[in-house]
Amino acid sequence: MTIATTSGGGQPGSALERGGSGGSGGTLADVVETVLDKGVVIDAQVSVAVVGIQLLEINARIVIASVETYLRFAETVDRLNIVPEDQKGLPDLVDGATGAVTKGKAISGLGKAAQEISGAVVDSLGDRGSERERERPRRRRDEER
Amino acid sequence: MADETGLFLYGIVPSDVEPTPDAAGVGEPPGEVDVVRHRDLAVLVSEVGLEEPIGRPADLTAYQTLLDGTAEVAPVLPVRFGTVVTGPDAVTDLLEAHHEQFAAALDEFEDRTQYTVHGRFDEQQLISELLAENPDAAALAEQVRGRPEIESREQRIRLGEMIAQAVELRREAENRALIDAVGELAVRHAPRQPSDELDAVNVAFLVGVDDEEEFVRVLEDFAEQRRDLIRTRLLGPLAPYDFVSAHQLVE
Repeated sequence: MTIATTSGGGQPGSALERGGSGGSGGTLADVVETVLDKGVVIDAQVSVAVVGIQLLEINARIVIASVETYLRFAETVDRLNIVPEDQKGLPDLVDGATGAVTKGKAISGLGKAAQEISGAVVDSLGDRGSERERERPRRRRDEER
Repeated sequence: MADETGLFLYGIVPSDVEPTPDAAGVGEPPGEVDVVRHRDLAVLVSEVGLEEPIGRPADLTAYQTLLDGTAEVAPVLPVRFGTVVTGPDAVTDLLEAHHEQFAAALDEFEDRTQYTVHGRFDEQQLISELLAENPDAAALAEQVRGRPEIESREQRIRLGEMIAQAVELRREAENRALIDAVGELAVRHAPRQPSDELDAVNVAFLVGVDDEEEFVRVLEDFAEQRRDLIRTRLLGPLAPYDFVSAHQLVE
């Protein structure tokens, strides 16, 4: 079975894929998941002149089970034993990888930064045959901050 | 208008850390990475225009590349992405005010690195297994299979819900199995929120340099045992993004 590789490294034939360090080899979705919403938070009260902290919280990380999900699972049941297993290739995997970020509707109240990030993920993955059409977010939208 | 600049903070490091000339920061063109030192601590910074939007994919990648690269040679405490202060004075104030916490945290990260294990279920394989284990779901699957959604919507939702619950249980079990398999090879572990409904495992581990090889070997085994069911990926070595929460200065 061929495994879609979005990352370098790893032993040939190994079931464990390697990647995602230092932004090399990892996908943008990996970077977003790895760094956003992490790290020391410096609050303004420590007399530090904080110009701006863009708190980028991607609420879409929290997976909420929905009717949409249920119906999709049921649809998968329809496809069982019909589609040969090894046809599950890159588009499926990549499509899944965007899930973290492209559930853009769950992102609310964010600065333009997060919107651009999610936009870029959609952009970079959209041409790989993702079946989920998403609205292409505006880039560099002017917004008051 | 765009003349005003601030300092973008990347991470807190021991003061003997020196950025390499090729270190690239956020911004367009990429900012030059500098250090602001105070006593035995320092912060990796770069100048940014305050009008400049930060948060483009290249900015995030630059941030992570710098921190992960630094983590390979020295302990580093990532500062949350997007933190910009007025200038060097603000940085020294910060280091002065929190010197003890920062120094203690850096000690803890000495010779340790983060790895994140992220696995996703193969949907078809997973659902096949779940149906084989659950006669009720299998019976329901028989009823809906091949019938248009409009006729079988109720059953489909019920079936999907059963599957979703089973997936969640399976995910919990796999995360536990992963943490058990790693065991003492990690100093600490931090479960991460699933990022997708097909997430199988998602855990960050803090691993000592002496244990890295064995840690990877254990994960190879873990992945091999689940080859058909889970696509397992190992991200790292990384800066300890998931292990700084205890050092947050929220108050």
